[in-house]
Amino acid sequence: MIQYIIRKLLYGLVVLFLVVVVIASIIYLAPVDPARLTFGQRSDTASLESKRQELGLDKPLYIQLGKYLKDLSPLAVIEDSPRSKEKYSYLKLIPIGDSYFVLKTPYLRESFQTGKSVGAILKASVPRTAILAFSAILLAIVIGIPLGVAAALRQNSMFDNTAVVTSVLGFSIPSYVSAMLLAVFFGYYLSAYTGLQVSGSVYGLDDLGDERYFWANLILPAIALGIRPVAIITQLTRSAMLDVLAQDYIRTAKAKGLKYRTIVFKHALRNAMNPVITAVSGWFAALLAGAFFVENVFQFNGLGQVTVNALLTYDIPVVLGSVLFTASVFILVNILVDLVYVVIDPRIRVE
Amino acid sequence: MSENKLLEIQNLQTYFFGKEGTVKAADDVSFYLNRGETLGIVGESGSGKSVTALSIMRLVQEPPGKIVGGKISYFPKDGTEIDLLALPEDEMRPYRGNNISMIFQEPMTSLNPVYTCGNQVIEAIILHQKVNKAEAAKLAKEMFGKVQLPDPERIYRSYPHQLSGGQKQRVMIAMAMACKPDILIADEPTTALDVTVQKAILELMEKMKAETDASIIFITHDLGVIAEIADRVLVMYKGKIVEQGTVKELFTNPQHPYTKGLLACRPPLKFRLRRLPVIQDFMNETGGELSLEKKATVKDAFMKLRIPEEETISRLKQLKSKTPLLRVEGLKTWFPSKKNFFGKTIEYTKAVDDVSFEVYPGETLGLVGESGCGKTTLGRSILRLNPVKEGRVFYDGIDVLNLPKEEMRGLRKRMQIIFQDPYSSLNPRMTIGNAILEPMEVHGLLSSSKARKDRVVELLETVSLQAAHYNRYPHEFSGGQRQRICIARALALKPEFIICDESVSALDVSIQAQVLNLLVDLREKLGLTYIFISHDLSVVKYMSDRMLVMNKGKIVESGPADTIYDHPKTAYTRQLINAIPKAGF
Repeated sequence: MIQYIIRKLLYGLVVLFLVVVVIASIIYLAPVDPARLTFGQRSDTASLESKRQELGLDKPLYIQLGKYLKDLSPLAVIEDSPRSKEKYSYLKLIPIGDSYFVLKTPYLRESFQTGKSVGAILKASVPRTAILAFSAILLAIVIGIPLGVAAALRQNSMFDNTAVVTSVLGFSIPSYVSAMLLAVFFGYYLSAYTGLQVSGSVYGLDDLGDERYFWANLILPAIALGIRPVAIITQLTRSAMLDVLAQDYIRTAKAKGLKYRTIVFKHALRNAMNPVITAVSGWFAALLAGAFFVENVFQFNGLGQVTVNALLTYDIPVVLGSVLFTASVFILVNILVDLVYVVIDPRIRVE
Repeated sequence: MSENKLLEIQNLQTYFFGKEGTVKAADDVSFYLNRGETLGIVGESGSGKSVTALSIMRLVQEPPGKIVGGKISYFPKDGTEIDLLALPEDEMRPYRGNNISMIFQEPMTSLNPVYTCGNQVIEAIILHQKVNKAEAAKLAKEMFGKVQLPDPERIYRSYPHQLSGGQKQRVMIAMAMACKPDILIADEPTTALDVTVQKAILELMEKMKAETDASIIFITHDLGVIAEIADRVLVMYKGKIVEQGTVKELFTNPQHPYTKGLLACRPPLKFRLRRLPVIQDFMNETGGELSLEKKATVKDAFMKLRIPEEETISRLKQLKSKTPLLRVEGLKTWFPSKKNFFGKTIEYTKAVDDVSFEVYPGETLGLVGESGCGKTTLGRSILRLNPVKEGRVFYDGIDVLNLPKEEMRGLRKRMQIIFQDPYSSLNPRMTIGNAILEPMEVHGLLSSSKARKDRVVELLETVSLQAAHYNRYPHEFSGGQRQRICIARALALKPEFIICDESVSALDVSIQAQVLNLLVDLREKLGLTYIFISHDLSVVKYMSDRMLVMNKGKIVESGPADTIYDHPKTAYTRQLINAIPKAGF
């Protein structure tokens, strides 16, 4: 089991390495000059050149890449200089000449645009996105699973047909469309009744300049993001339940004289959960990676919005940082889901 | 009303309302069950025997099924009479699993895979006996001991997939008997099991019945099994009871032609037959009405088809005079069972361990052994469907295991396999005509698609199906018909050699007889050579000239089929022979 997790984590590292190489190469090859973008229209060749040198953009790809990986790696040989202290917090392990072999925090560099460290940018935006993703997926679980179960138990009834049709409609609507509709109706026209705003983030500064949470700002984006997962989880739960209810062991449970409720919730539901967990985890990871459109509509200032802005301004360190974060989330969620499978279904033995 | 009656069913009518009309699954069925009695219900698939049982429990799937009429009276010990069909669902439920309990055909799928066996057994105990969890656990472990499961503590904590089929059926019996029911309904409880395991389960049911004073309704398609366990028998055919009586009456003096057919179609052990009698030898069915040929008796049928012993001996001699078609030398198929961190195998399961034998042209070589003895792996290894660790296989002088891929394709035309499960070995989305056509297209047989289609029709007729079946899908066919389709598909490439891997094990005995006859006919007509694999020694003995007995990956005995049956040399073979259900009349 532990062996399995270690192996998965090692695979994960390989994946992260490939992500860095691929993304960095694409950016390097693209015919855009980040140095020019930092200065805007008015710039002279000399200052552009010095900016390029400062950013290390004049070096060939493999040197840039090597330096980036060195900054990223938790183990590296570095000089014990003030510049290093500025970049990482580190623990000296073995002295090598003037330098040290150290255990250090990964350094994601600084934004070309704002000069803020990418680590700090992620630290500020990720919690917002995490709260949003978590709310959306919670909505999907709390509504989708009971709805799916109820529809399966009343197969071919009016209720079931309505649930099926509505869920098809639900996942056919792109989330930015539902986001805009929600924002306009509940945040603008009905704002007097709902008390909600068209846009705003869940965490920010209030009128007096204090940082605090604005929970009301979570409602509309969470619903907009949640609609599609709700629809898909309803459908999946329904079909998995129908499948399980036709199994022999459900007949055995009936022959034991068990109550209908026990049969449905103890014997059927747990067996129906496998495909649902796959969907929930996939969606959760995807939402954590940032819901670009929905965050943009609501000006949510989460990871998605940060990434989109970074792409627009060619802010390479921020793009790389958020892509790496996203990849790590996918890897970790996948390992976590494998563990959940083992808990829920004893037939799955990790080898 | 007699004192002794426990259950009386009067005029039970259970219908299924489908798109293609109403099926009268139980059509005016009346019978009774006495206290302490074992009542057998016999019939083939679709005869209504399972539906009758489910009707007693009121577990018929609704829709499409519905109990439309009749009365089911249950007489508990306190002398009252309860009309089960009149009870509201809430009042019916406490009887299920408590007064009347049921075990099913498929032990593999009848237990919930995500809960421990212990958990599933105490559930019923807590529900019906109003005891706490600790007491229920104690009772459950006691029950596991009673059903002779090894190490009840471990079984209690085990999940169903960690147990064998026989052990799972024991858990099911423990579950069903835990609340000391008056009536135990067993619906084909041993059909999915090996004959050796079947014997153990039947003995266990006898023992449990004696201990708990329960009555049993035992449902099966196999009269041989009934003879071992039942006191009285009902024979069902197309939703109706066509004959009933004590086991002895039924076996010595069967009245209804259908009963005669069922008695005759099991492969006999004491002598050899040219072909097996089938139900149709005793009964004609024309336009739904039965026209009976009452004259034929089971004995007549056997005498007519019997092969004299001298003929068997001379046939063996003649077969052995030719050069072997297939030669297997020191074959080993080992599967990795444990791997280290770097994925290197450190332990093997020896499925086939150093096996050598020959098959002569025109011969049927039987391969018999329990589940897990390696017989299926051996068959697949010969055809290179499994990676082989060591050893050689020569087919007609060709070194099969070292043949280049392209040449192997050519050889595959000559060697075919028919699998056990006719349900899962046909693609449900492909018409059966195309299923048979496909191998011919893959191998580029015959020049035009018209010629190939004609050949499919010819093949369908060879296996007693019709040209009109070409465009139908597998779900429209019964199990026996599907197995015929699989045979036709195997024949499509005009093979000389076919491996039949448990090809009749999933079929009713009456259907089994038809398929076995078809295989024998094809062997004679097309000059085929078979390896016939089964766990049932009676079937293997009937089919084969020579027989190999396999245990734990090795061949423990080999020789002419009759010799092995008459003079078994190893305890293992004797155990296989003893497990065959037989009527001692």
